Formats: sequence, C-alpha cells, structure tokens
Amino acid sequence: MSYHTNIDEAKWAKVRDAFAAALGLEDDEVELGSKLISDLGAESLDFLDIVYRLERAFDIKIPRGGIEGSAQEEVGGTYEVDGILTDDGLMALKQLMPEVPSDEFHDGMRVTEVPELFRVATFYNLVCHLIDKADQAKKVSEDAG
Amino acid sequence: MPDSPKTGPLVAERRFCFVVHALSRVHRGIMGVPSLRAGLVGQWRDGTEAADVLPVCTLRLKGVAVGHVVGVPMVPEDLLGDQQRAVDRMVQAVALAGDVAAVGLGSLCAVVGGRGEALADRLDVPVTNGGAATAWALLDNVRVVLAETGTRRVAVVGSTSPVGRVVVQSLVADGFAVSVDHPRGGRGLDVEVCDGPAAAVSGCRVVVGAGPTGGVVPGACLAPHTVVIDVAIPGTFYAPLPPSVVVLAGEAVGYPVGWERGMWGWLYHVLSGYGPSQVFACLIEPLVLATSGRERPFSIGRSLSVENVEAFGRGAAALGFKPRLAKGWFAVPRTKLLLP
Repeated sequence: MSYHTNIDEAKWAKVRDAFAAALGLEDDEVELGSKLISDLGAESLDFLDIVYRLERAFDIKIPRGGIEGSAQEEVGGTYEVDGILTDDGLMALKQLMPEVPSDEFHDGMRVTEVPELFRVATFYNLVCHLIDKADQAKKVSEDAG
Repeated sequence: MPDSPKTGPLVAERRFCFVVHALSRVHRGIMGVPSLRAGLVGQWRDGTEAADVLPVCTLRLKGVAVGHVVGVPMVPEDLLGDQQRAVDRMVQAVALAGDVAAVGLGSLCAVVGGRGEALADRLDVPVTNGGAATAWALLDNVRVVLAETGTRRVAVVGSTSPVGRVVVQSLVADGFAVSVDHPRGGRGLDVEVCDGPAAAVSGCRVVVGAGPTGGVVPGACLAPHTVVIDVAIPGTFYAPLPPSVVVLAGEAVGYPVGWERGMWGWLYHVLSGYGPSQVFACLIEPLVLATSGRERPFSIGRSLSVENVEAFGRGAAALGFKPRLAKGWFAVPRTKLLLP
C-alpha cells in the first residue's frame, strides 16, 4: 500500500480535512509524514473520530482494527506472543506500512507501541486501498452480471 | 434567537434526554430488565437493532427538570465497529424520549459520530457532549486540591483534548505553573512543554488526567504522595502506582436536594459507576442546557471554550450541583490531601 508516493490531490484534500477536523488543526498543519501521536497529539479516541470522518468522506467502511487487523490476517501464523510482536508480525506490519521507516520496527516491539508508528500517510494508504478494493469488487460484479 | 443570559429554569420541569450505551454484555442484560426485554436479558439479542433501543430510567430535579435516560444497548465494540449505525440508534433513542429541550451523551456515545456532531446534524434540538461539564468539575476539583496542598505547580496529561486545553488555559490564567505533555496542549500559552506525559509529571505533586483515554501512562513515573485528579476511565496511569499516590475522580458532582431517581435511577447510578451519592458531570450538562434557555450546546465536536465552561458552571451551581472530591463512590476529606 504505497499510494502515498503518488498522491491523488482530491483524495488527499479529503484526508487532510478529516484529520484537521478530528484533531482541531489547520489544514496546513496536517502533512503526510506527520505521526499521529507524537506530532499531532492524537489520542486513541481521536482515532475513532478520524476513522468516522474518513468513512463519511469516502463512503467506505474501515474495518475495526484497520492496519493491525489486516496484519494479523496476513500473518497466517502468530502475530504476537504476550503482547510482543513476532518476527512474522513485524514483517507483516512492515509490508502494510511502507510509509514507516524500517528502523522504527524493532525486535521486542510491543503491540501497544504500533499506533505510535501511524502517520497520516498510513490512513491515506488505507483509504486508497479500500477504495480500489471496492472498485474492483464492483467491476467483478458488473462483469459477472 | 440569542442565548438567554438567564441560568435559572425558564419553565418548570424542562425535559432533557441523556443517551447511554451498555458498558458490557452483563450491563446490557441488566439494561433490559426495567422494560422487560427478554432478548437482552437472556443475551440472545445483541442490542444493535432499532427495536432494542429502550428507556432506562427517569431522573428529576424536582420543579426544575426531568431527564429521560435512554439506552442504546450496544456494547463498546459494536458501537465502535459501526459508528454510523450507532448514530442511527442514538437518533432513535432521542425519538423515544419524546419532546426534549436538550440531548446529552454518555460515555462512548459522546465520542462516536464526531463527538456528537453527526447526531446534532440530524436533530433540531441542541446536542451537548459533556465536555463543558467535565471541564468545570475537573477544574473546580483541581483548584481545591491546589489550594489545600499549597501547590503552585501542576502537570496536565491529555492536554491536547478539548477538556485538557480548557483546563490548561484556565490554570495558566489563575497564575499556576503548568507543565503539559504535548506542544499542542500549550500552544500560545506560557507553559512548560514537555516531551510526553512522563516528562510532564516528573516532580509534580499535583497531576491532572484530562484526556479521555485511560491506561496510557505508567504509574511508576509519578512521585510518591502525588495527588492525581483524573477524568479518564479507566485511569490515565496504569498499575503499579506508588502506594502513597492518591487518585481522585475528576468529574464527580454532588447533587442537590430534590434529585429524584426512583429505583431504576438508583440502579443506573450504581451500575454506571457514579455510586449512590454522586453523578458524573456529563449527565447534568443537558439538564443545565435545557433549563438555561440556550439554544447552542455548551460543547460539541472538539468545540469547547473557557467561556462556555464558565457559563455551564454558573448554571450548574445555580441549580445546586457542586463538584465533589471523590475516590470511587466516596467523598474524600480535604485533610487527606495534605502533602507531607
């Protein structure tokens, strides 16, 4: 999910608006590389607000668990043990979050540390992925019909 | 129409609605008892359907206001898993309450759907999300603790939240030395900006937990004998805490003579964590709004101002509500706050 390397301006404007509204920021304070917690001061309940605003803006449904949920599905094996990410878990997260520098993933990383990695780009990529997925499903359905 | 400057009741017994949700599956079952909802009590319904919305209890401040507590019997994971559906159910809950002058939101109902904005868009009565009441109670309790302990320095964790921001602004205006956990919490204010909560609380003997999310900061970073005034549930600091640390409920409010609950209201108070002798501040925000004549909410979305918090406080005090220093269900004597 590397949509952030080739920005769609219309989608980006909606994502930026959603973050600005949810966090009480000016639009120009929201950048793709902004980290949600340390840069923008978001709390976990703010994530809910962000998700809701993105769902409304794009008429999509973001699955509960978002990125982490997808990572757990990708792993197939064990994602975490006693709250510590396994090697497979780390690998799945790296693949799902290419916007995060790989040196921010480290051995012994706790599941609770994962949200600290989230950038605005993480959500931009997720939204673009879900839109593409919905478009593909629609096309398959139309072709079948 | 402009807001009325009056804070007293315009007419006797103004009606308000307070929307709550089930805190757990057990809570959902109990919620179904007053209206004999066998499917909820027996746990074969999950509470997500429109038909599951139900009255919980009626609260009354005699001669002033009557509040209809209406339940959306969805557990937190269902509320958060589909926020649009949660908003739909809240609309149905308000309809069940009938003609009301104000709507308040409890717990996660005040968070989903843009912190009340989505519900407000669909109703023609003001919806208020409890932020002003929470900030008012928290600020009052913090000021009492600071006065009793003779402390001039205070740390605010969760300073970027709407409540946190107002608390920081007000404490700075009072002349206290305030440390905050994030640059956004102190923007434009003369505060000490620290790199995270642990740095902000370092060496502070009075700490405010103003964020809505609990369990985010290790309790070990608190100094012995610190007094924490906290609105997060569960608490901002997770165990283990130094044994001498005192954690007080930030939004407990004592109610006036004339507060009537009936049996189900009493049960609701207890099950919702208020205990029998107090309420959480957010419950009275729609009551004060309904009786004030205001047409605009005290707080909605992230919108919360010092002026609205003060306006709410004047209204609540005029009706006899008073913030209460409490630990769990019980009041804490001020002598317990003396720092060694």
